[in-house]
Amino acid sequence: MRRRKHILDNLDQDIRDHIERETQDNIGRGMSPDEARYAAVRKFGNVTRVKEETRDVWTFVWLEQLLQDVRYGLRMLRRNPGFAAVAVLTLALGIGANTAIFSVINGVLLSPLPYKDPKQLVIIKEHDSLPNVRDIQRQTRAFSQGGGINVEPMDYTGGTEPVQVHVGQIDAAFLETLGAQPMLGRIISPGEDVQGGPRLAMVSNHFWQDYLGSDPHAVGSTIQLGGNSYTVIGVMPASFAPPAEHADVFVSLSVSDPRGGAERDLHFLHTYWRLKAGVTLAQAQADMAAIDRRLAEQYPAEEKERKSQLVPLHEWLVGDVRSALLVLFGAVGLVLLIACANFASLLMMRAVAERQELVIRAALGAGRGRLIRKTLTESVLLSLLGGAAGLLFAQWGTSMLLALRPEKLARLSGIHMDTRVMLFVLVVSVLTGIAFGMAPVWIAARADVAEALKEGGRGTTSSTVGHSVRKLLVTSELAVALVLLVGAGLLIKGFSRLRSMNPGFNSANVLTMYLQLPTTRYGEIPKQNQFRRELLARLNSLPGVQAAMVTDIPLGGNYVGHRLVIDGRPPVAVGGEPLVQTLSVMGDYFRVMQIPLRAGRDFTPLDREGQPLVAIVNEEMVREFFPHEGPIGVRIRWAGDTGPPQWMTVIAVVGDVKHSGLNQRADPAVYTPFSQNDERWRRFMTLAIRSRDASPGLVEEVKKQIWSLDSQIPVSDVHAMDDLIAVSVAQQRFNMLLLGLFAALALILAAVGIYGAMAYSVNQRTHEIGIRTALGAQRRDVLRLVLRDGAKIALVGIASGIAGALALTRLMAGLLFEVKPTDPATFAGVATLLALVGFAACYIPAHRAMRVDPMVALRHE
Amino acid sequence: MSTKEQRERIELLQGTLDLLILRTLLLGPAHGHAIAKAIEFKSDDVLQVEQGSLYPALHRLIKRRWISAEEGTSENNRRAKFYRLTSQGRRQLALETNKWDKLAGAIARILQPAEQEGES
Repeated sequence: MRRRKHILDNLDQDIRDHIERETQDNIGRGMSPDEARYAAVRKFGNVTRVKEETRDVWTFVWLEQLLQDVRYGLRMLRRNPGFAAVAVLTLALGIGANTAIFSVINGVLLSPLPYKDPKQLVIIKEHDSLPNVRDIQRQTRAFSQGGGINVEPMDYTGGTEPVQVHVGQIDAAFLETLGAQPMLGRIISPGEDVQGGPRLAMVSNHFWQDYLGSDPHAVGSTIQLGGNSYTVIGVMPASFAPPAEHADVFVSLSVSDPRGGAERDLHFLHTYWRLKAGVTLAQAQADMAAIDRRLAEQYPAEEKERKSQLVPLHEWLVGDVRSALLVLFGAVGLVLLIACANFASLLMMRAVAERQELVIRAALGAGRGRLIRKTLTESVLLSLLGGAAGLLFAQWGTSMLLALRPEKLARLSGIHMDTRVMLFVLVVSVLTGIAFGMAPVWIAARADVAEALKEGGRGTTSSTVGHSVRKLLVTSELAVALVLLVGAGLLIKGFSRLRSMNPGFNSANVLTMYLQLPTTRYGEIPKQNQFRRELLARLNSLPGVQAAMVTDIPLGGNYVGHRLVIDGRPPVAVGGEPLVQTLSVMGDYFRVMQIPLRAGRDFTPLDREGQPLVAIVNEEMVREFFPHEGPIGVRIRWAGDTGPPQWMTVIAVVGDVKHSGLNQRADPAVYTPFSQNDERWRRFMTLAIRSRDASPGLVEEVKKQIWSLDSQIPVSDVHAMDDLIAVSVAQQRFNMLLLGLFAALALILAAVGIYGAMAYSVNQRTHEIGIRTALGAQRRDVLRLVLRDGAKIALVGIASGIAGALALTRLMAGLLFEVKPTDPATFAGVATLLALVGFAACYIPAHRAMRVDPMVALRHE
Repeated sequence: MSTKEQRERIELLQGTLDLLILRTLLLGPAHGHAIAKAIEFKSDDVLQVEQGSLYPALHRLIKRRWISAEEGTSENNRRAKFYRLTSQGRRQLALETNKWDKLAGAIARILQPAEQEGES
């Protein structure tokens, strides 16, 4: 460094000496002093460039120049804060929205699941029974491990108040399959996972914290679950949770529910399997099909229709969220594209304004590469600033996304901004800066120095190249904005269709909550019904309250199906009987829910134990099974009953209820009275309570009534029916809100773009407009002149946008509800909206042009 | 237009300019202007060096330690910077000269017969 400085110090002097010598020589040859000096300088060449190149020999040139360019760039930005703010803000919006969505995609689609070798994990889509799981475990050649879980709400009565906890009833292999290691103690061994085995429990980390006081010596203590004592043998780490279930405690299914565990046709376990190393999904599927066939042969009564489908766990968890996220990612990419186009157009406008400076620099000997680098440094600087501001937007946007996210996303943890996201932003920013910073460089590079100098800064004709490129940019912005608006419009229309779907009941002012009776005291059906009757009597005596109960409330997420036999129909092979939804009710359920009675009579309190068995069916059931004759009076029974057939007489038809979601068809359903039910396991019920007004004290009042009957019964899943509906459409709402937001962003950016272009062009043409006005053009003519320009851009943009939208909206067909991707009304509405916005954006500059004073304009040089 | 032609010629010379400087300095230390003069004179003015381009080349050679620079006084008692060949530069010159001879010889052998063919 010292050596370099020492040598360079005298460079100026050396060059002056050199030229002086040459001048003297020339004088010696007989030139006049002026002539001699001129010739010497000419012979020497461009002094500035020689100095620069000489210095370059000694430096990490690029680094020094970079610093210089950065410093210069920052100075330029400070001098022109309006331009900088608009450019940075434009990019920040685009990059911010992208980062937020990418955070979600990163967390949901790209991050591995928090299990050991998660890629080997698959699920069997169909639920299964424990005996079948055991058989698959024995027979499989494709899986190294596999196990099942069923989550059962049970009351935990060890604390001060009875609470309902979610107990994961598992088999011993379940935790091992997921690679779960206990934080304290151990997990259950296969030898303990048998009927009559010891009652052992492994508690989740949050149960350990909430109910066991994070006691490090919790292992060995006992807890009361569902009226039984379990010994805690292990505490799971906070990082572990079952893939799709919420469980507070894990116990052996065989131990906690020996009867349910032994039933082959009780398909209630969700099963997870680990592929052996090197086994493909297709091989495993083939192996599974073979096992299914063997089971069907062996147990025709229960397993005749077996068809187990394997799905990789990640794919299954992400499921339909994936397509929604990809559409959103595509949409947000388009927003970034628009932002970039705006950015480029801004840079180009400025490049034209700064042409004079560039030209002078070139004339003074700046190399072309150096000029390009300077311009690029500025645009990369701007885009990095945009990226940084974008990160702030993204931070805010991600938390907004998290607040809006549907439940399915909520289960997948790890949505946050990590280094991968930061890297993404950095790459996007720098690429944006380089790619879109090239546009002005390109213009500058084409600048012919001599021509430009002659033109003397008037900049009239020479900017036509830039102008047409900018027009193209604005046109594309409008086209892309239209695509996004159409997408958003379709989702909004679909969502409003979905929300306006009649769920089949009136959700207003209905409160629901879930109760489960402990087996120890309510094992017998009469006891259960006694409790139910007494509870309903008490609730109905509250002023302004109508209460009833049902096994599974609509949109509550639970569903029980049974196979059905219809009297008088030709016999169907065992296991092939039609499957229908089965619900038990008590109280005036249909009146409380306002489910219309279409024919026949409602249940009465007389339809109870010891009386003739009755059933009510829904309209879908009639459509499917009784299309010609009425169902009333027909006898039906459940398939697979042992003992004498228990025929139920259909007494009425009620309206269909959308039980599994507003966008799902209603299944055929059979309602029976709770009191005529002979299934002891139906110890649970969901209260449906309609009140005149949703008074906030009602929940507490209801709980008080329940606990006055039995203080040990936990109450859970307290929801307003309206909320259940809202939750059921959360995914669609999420999609709609996000795409709507992106479309609004796109619209704003595109409007700013077209406004900027028109304003700039009016500014450039002030001179021309002045001449026209001076020559007698009317204000109207001027207005038309400018608007025609804008209209051309807008029309071409809208037309190509429609073409693009027709091609792209097909990709989102799966996200739409009862709306065609080519819905003409949406297309027309969006095109009109965009045309209006385009017109407004053009009108302001056009109006300004109209008022141009010809005298001022002609002086505008 | 003329500037453009000149620039192209200089770029052609770029690689060989270093060699010419080293060769000139073999005769003894010289200042920048003298080196330029010598190259022009010895080549019978065929090689018109844009004199400025000498300086980046000189500094490149200093950086490689093939020449050194020192302050001195010139013929007419004026301050000047003299460039002197180092022993490392002397070795380099031998090497480069050898290489150049081979290259020139090879090119000449290729071009010579072609010219004759063209004439006959």
